[in-house]
Amino acid sequence: MPRLPEPRFVPDCAILVDGVEVPARAGESVAVALVAAGRPLVSRSYKYHRPRGPFCLAGSCGSCLARVDGQPSLRTCRVACRDGLRVETQNAFPSARHDLLAVVDRATPHGLDHHHLLTSPVALNRVVVEVSRRLAGLGRLPDRAPGPFPAATLETFDALVVGAGPAGLGAAEALAAAGRRVLVAEQAPRAGGRLRAGLPLRGEPPLAWAAEVEGAVGRAGGELALATAALGLWRDGGSPIAALAAEAPPRLRLVRASVLVLATGGTAVPPVFPGNDVPGIFAGRALAVARAEHGLLPGARCLVLGEGEEAAAVAARLAGGGLEVVARPGPALLARGRARVRAVELAGERLRCDAVAWVTPPAPAAELARELGARLELLPALSAFAVAVDAEGRTGVPGLFAAGEVTGPLDGAAAAAAGRRAGEAALRG
Amino acid sequence: MARTVLCACEDVTLEEVRRAFAEGHRDLESVKRYTGFGTGPCQGKSCLAAVAGELLRLGATPAEIAPFTARPPLQPTPLALLATADPGALPLDPGVPPPAAGPRPRPQGGPLPERARVVIVGGGIMGLGLAYQLCRRGERDVLVLEAGYLNAGASGRNGGGVRAQWSTPTMIRLARRSLALCRSFAADMGVNVWFRPGGYLFLAPTAEQVARLERNAALHRAHGLATRVIDPEEAARIVPELDRRRFLAASWNPDDGVVFPWPFLWGYASRAAALGARIRTFTRVTGFEREGRRLTAVRTDAGRVTCEVVVNAAGAWSKEVAALAGVPLPNRPTRHEILVTEPLKPWLGPLVSVLGNGLYFSQSQRGELVGGMGDPDEPEGVVSGSTLRFLSRFARAALECVPRLAGVKVVRQWAGCYDVTPDNNPVLGAAGFDNFLQLSGFVGHGFMMAPAVTEAMAAWMTGGEEDEIFRRFTLARFERGETAREDFIIG
Repeated sequence: MPRLPEPRFVPDCAILVDGVEVPARAGESVAVALVAAGRPLVSRSYKYHRPRGPFCLAGSCGSCLARVDGQPSLRTCRVACRDGLRVETQNAFPSARHDLLAVVDRATPHGLDHHHLLTSPVALNRVVVEVSRRLAGLGRLPDRAPGPFPAATLETFDALVVGAGPAGLGAAEALAAAGRRVLVAEQAPRAGGRLRAGLPLRGEPPLAWAAEVEGAVGRAGGELALATAALGLWRDGGSPIAALAAEAPPRLRLVRASVLVLATGGTAVPPVFPGNDVPGIFAGRALAVARAEHGLLPGARCLVLGEGEEAAAVAARLAGGGLEVVARPGPALLARGRARVRAVELAGERLRCDAVAWVTPPAPAAELARELGARLELLPALSAFAVAVDAEGRTGVPGLFAAGEVTGPLDGAAAAAAGRRAGEAALRG
Repeated sequence: MARTVLCACEDVTLEEVRRAFAEGHRDLESVKRYTGFGTGPCQGKSCLAAVAGELLRLGATPAEIAPFTARPPLQPTPLALLATADPGALPLDPGVPPPAAGPRPRPQGGPLPERARVVIVGGGIMGLGLAYQLCRRGERDVLVLEAGYLNAGASGRNGGGVRAQWSTPTMIRLARRSLALCRSFAADMGVNVWFRPGGYLFLAPTAEQVARLERNAALHRAHGLATRVIDPEEAARIVPELDRRRFLAASWNPDDGVVFPWPFLWGYASRAAALGARIRTFTRVTGFEREGRRLTAVRTDAGRVTCEVVVNAAGAWSKEVAALAGVPLPNRPTRHEILVTEPLKPWLGPLVSVLGNGLYFSQSQRGELVGGMGDPDEPEGVVSGSTLRFLSRFARAALECVPRLAGVKVVRQWAGCYDVTPDNNPVLGAAGFDNFLQLSGFVGHGFMMAPAVTEAMAAWMTGGEEDEIFRRFTLARFERGETAREDFIIG
């Protein structure tokens, strides 16, 4: 019973994982289906062959890779289920669950220093090169070509907003209200960003607002493009050009816009303690989203680990429906478990749990801003760099604005307001 | 067993980051190269903060934990999708990101000495290889000045190919010596460089290119190489995924190979330092002091160093460095872009290069496809930004050559500079001043030449044999018109 007992969450198809049928709902991600089926172990890690499973559930980490329909190393959190979809675990022999190569992990308690491993004599080193080459690599060559993809389009908009969370929606709303043609590119299959989690937080705009903004953007001749990831910003030929990879139908969109608003939010950052990579440890916000949209229950007993309002909100959001929730501020000292988390040790107590929701402010997703040379500032508490902006979201790079959590931790209400201010500033030029 | 994993993609642990820091890799770019963190499919999005936090705790400065360069594409992207963009509609430009501004990390390598007998400008493979070879021959009063971190220049940006298939006897001789040194480098220097003799396969799409391969193969055999010109069927037995309709013949030498470039620098640097050389990073040369026909001191942003010999081994920056001494070099630094894909299980043995369009690619030890392709429209300049145009040009050319690559995903692109000379041969020996020695102009194959050339140069500088290259490849040859062109440049 790993899902909320509601008719809309009943599995309606089956995917094949290493030849075994796993119930799923058409359209949900493979990673969600695997967690719902009690199989958070998706792959084996690159070097030590340690069990790995989904963490961010949002296409930003790399711990849920599998071969899907003959294409290697796809993020299972970004692949939609359909009946008969073939999923194969990688980098494991014979399977991710029982991987004989895990001997590497057990044999190297202090790590594998590949720089100084058996460098001499020459004959032995040659063997090391050959053996390690075979152990390296993740997937095998694709079985077939993906696509076919149509020729890339070169499009022009008045403004490009990257991210459809509260900040991106705020900016898009301000620009569309003034009649600007806006393209809003959202990597996730749904708009709303953190609002999708439905956390009980003061002042957070309702998720329904995303639909309102989409309507306004459309009426002004723009578009809200979902499942559309920004691959980067280049400058080929002068003004910035964005390359966007749309998933459905799959195609490359090249976009030039005189105004760019980066509302990319942040990346879920894994916790740091021994055993932090055991399957079953998830980004808290992502679990709340998966519960809201797929009825996902990550296990029977979930430890919510983190401090502050958001941690409390995540704990409240995850509780009920058959999931027991325990909340602790941390710090955690050790996670135990192999194929999935069994227990977490904190100062003075040991908590049994089969899932962990890790709640911490995300690290600003500043990559696009960095590509154009925007100034960054260090956030010591996060040891991460945020895009430096003035009160109106100006980055100092002409035409480039940033708003929301890409500029540092904010609540949803403040992010929406910052997005609106950046949109209005962009109108003034 | 519980490990604390900071980079889940590449399995980099807390312990490994601490070890790297203890060995002197303090800034994020250096830690990234030494541990491999941030080079996996997530591109460093999930691990950057964790590693930066640990480095701060260990005593790094904010400048040292500034994020490493953001490398597009930001999501793993199939080559077939990139091939849908029209490179003709994407004019060349300096690319992204712009050169970094802001405070620089702290120099490593101790205080700047007041004097050093030999000052080597440039801590790439040429400078470090020379420092090590000089130390081995007893010349230990050596100072290497590197403007960035180790591996910041072309030595850390190249595709790692090492081949003996050249078009002149001199180059063949040097390359063969380098190959021999590469084979034993790990054992000699105590650091793995993952030399893998998978061979080099040059594909000739036109009859003219086939004739070129035939001429070269005859020369190779006369010099004892195993090069053979083979037909597409035989080439397809070596790489079954090749589209054999795309070429008429191929030249094949099974003894050529690929290496992982970065550890060469760590190996040379640590051995040279152990023998007494001083290697200072993040130190910029700003000028020279001279007396008559001699340079007497090197000025840097950290003070001046009096010296007896200066070696200009600054790669693409050699022209700038020589200009500081008033010596004009004919070198034209030119950007070359390169990319790397997701890691795959072994499928490709040799480095494959297509004559005519400059495409080359090989499979690295980690399983990634590493490949580049020169752009005929590339202007002169020390530029290291990345372009979308390159991604689409490379994708189209690579898929023509190996259609099965369509679904393979690109995870990173970057660029470096070839140090190009008018005849594609290096600039060596004294220039402008009796004690201003040049070690530049290697046109994209400096990395593979460095082991042999630095060995020969150190022997010559310490009173040993003078290899003919130090007479033949002087700057004066351009005035005298005594140039013989090397035409087997790729990339």
